[in-house]
Amino acid sequence: MAVGSADQAIQVSTPTAKTRRREMSDTRFAFMIGLPVLAFLLIVVAYPLGYSIYMSLHQIVFFGGYRVTFVGFKNFIDVWSDKSFINAIWVTLRFTIESVVLTMILGLLLASIMNQQIRMAGVVRTLLFLPWCVSSYAAGLMFGQMVKGQTGIFTTIAFAFGGTQGVDLMSRATVVEVLAVANAWLMAPLVAFFILANMKTIPKRLYDLAAIDRLTSWETFRYVTLPPLQFSLFVFSSITTVLSMKMFDMILVMTSGGPGTASATLTYQIYKRSFKDLNLGYGAAMSFYLLFFILGSTFLIYLVWGRRVSR
Amino acid sequence: MAKRSFFLYLAIAVAIVWSLFPIYWFCRMAFLTPDQIRLFPQPFLPGVFELGAFYNIFGYDYTYAAGFSTGASGQSNQIIRGVFNGLFISGVVTVITLIIVLPLAYVFARMDFRHKEKLLFAVLLSVALPPVSTLIPFYSMYVQLGLTGTRFGLILVTLTITVPFVAWMLIGYFRNVPPIERLARIDGYSRMSCFLTLILPLSKSGIAVAAVIAFLFSWNEYTYALVLVNGTSANTLPPAISGFLAQYPEPGNLAASIIVTIIPPALFAFFLQRHVTEMSLVDPVR
Repeated sequence: MAVGSADQAIQVSTPTAKTRRREMSDTRFAFMIGLPVLAFLLIVVAYPLGYSIYMSLHQIVFFGGYRVTFVGFKNFIDVWSDKSFINAIWVTLRFTIESVVLTMILGLLLASIMNQQIRMAGVVRTLLFLPWCVSSYAAGLMFGQMVKGQTGIFTTIAFAFGGTQGVDLMSRATVVEVLAVANAWLMAPLVAFFILANMKTIPKRLYDLAAIDRLTSWETFRYVTLPPLQFSLFVFSSITTVLSMKMFDMILVMTSGGPGTASATLTYQIYKRSFKDLNLGYGAAMSFYLLFFILGSTFLIYLVWGRRVSR
Repeated sequence: MAKRSFFLYLAIAVAIVWSLFPIYWFCRMAFLTPDQIRLFPQPFLPGVFELGAFYNIFGYDYTYAAGFSTGASGQSNQIIRGVFNGLFISGVVTVITLIIVLPLAYVFARMDFRHKEKLLFAVLLSVALPPVSTLIPFYSMYVQLGLTGTRFGLILVTLTITVPFVAWMLIGYFRNVPPIERLARIDGYSRMSCFLTLILPLSKSGIAVAAVIAFLFSWNEYTYALVLVNGTSANTLPPAISGFLAQYPEPGNLAASIIVTIIPPALFAFFLQRHVTEMSLVDPVR
């Protein structure tokens, strides 16, 4: 407002002061913006959750007439005497830990490479970003085809060096590792880009000081680059943990839980119980355990790591 | 110095091979002739360079130079439709996600209000919900509402994935935008105009990244699309492609259509990638 009109404003403001619109409080403004989204989230979270709770407390039978009987917590208890469920917990745990560790290491490596002064940095960035454009579904197809004995690259390499047998990594012993590598391949670019963004905020003069102190490149990385990245690393460890535990379509496409049950993660087991065996109540009970594991593990990461770095 | 740059370029080369090789090894099949695909072990490079598979997936017969021909894929209608539906749905989802999430993330990042922690937890909870367990509730709801097989229905369900995820990332981003609102508020800006005329232009890179993430999630969404729209006129590309698996396996066509799915997000990412490096996170919960 121009200074000249200030006098006028004072004159007229006295009678209208009562009716002047009060500014909204922060809370009201936040709710005004947030309310539509919250309503939306309510449907997203509450409806399926409520429905799943309902299903998990019932025995739902399709064959020989649709019947629903209330069984209380029977499904939740039965799960624990189910060998495939216990197996699925171990497979999920192995898959998740391997995926997260690999993804974080790869993300750091890719980010460090992209952080160097290089020619054609834009092209390099786009190429390294490319795996993230691939759907988890397509990644499952790609890695499946790449490691199978019939079509795999390792067979081609083995024959090129005079081998006579195919190399099949889709075996009981290694299938979870193959899945974890594929998962890390898929997620690492996302992590790398956010870490790169964070690296760019580290002041250049810290590196000059490190050079004066004659730190080796490993020491520079350890004591100059790594500490400011702590928070990003923590956030992405949590995100990749959640994404890995939720991972389903890649596993379905690549292995369908096999060979045997060697790669049957919890998501796959839930799918199998709900959609193949049509045992909806049982599947729903399992999915609550999965949800609990997901929330529990992110909370655990927060407790042991996040609390220290988020201040 | 020469030694250092040698290792640097070696590292770049390794990183590029690591990123591209799985894509190459699979997509190579699109350029192989059907009898080359059956070779054991598989050849490293395609022998002849022909685009037969691409003709087939878009509904044309193709005669190879060697004389034999391959017929149009039975899945071609679904593929073509899938491309258009996918672009339409992903575009709409991206725009709606941005419209919803930008103000939301801003409010959560910059303002203090009651119940904030609980609401943040609701966002986290919806990120954590596995699609496998929400599939049945959504399906039964959609059947009752008549939303199965509609683009609107798929847009709605895809938003349930993109909104919480993008919100979770952007809350951290907005905390890093310089705190200029106090000054602007003293100058008489309202909260809304603060956000629209000052914060939004400052957060271009955050918006770009949010757009890329929303687009990629939506374009590549498979589980919901398979259950809710597969086989209908609202089908998207991923379930349409999975038809190749269910039918007589045609690896060449499969690879060609996977290439088709990679191109749009790759272009999108290429134009927006420089913004990604300007993203930096701080704690969303603090």
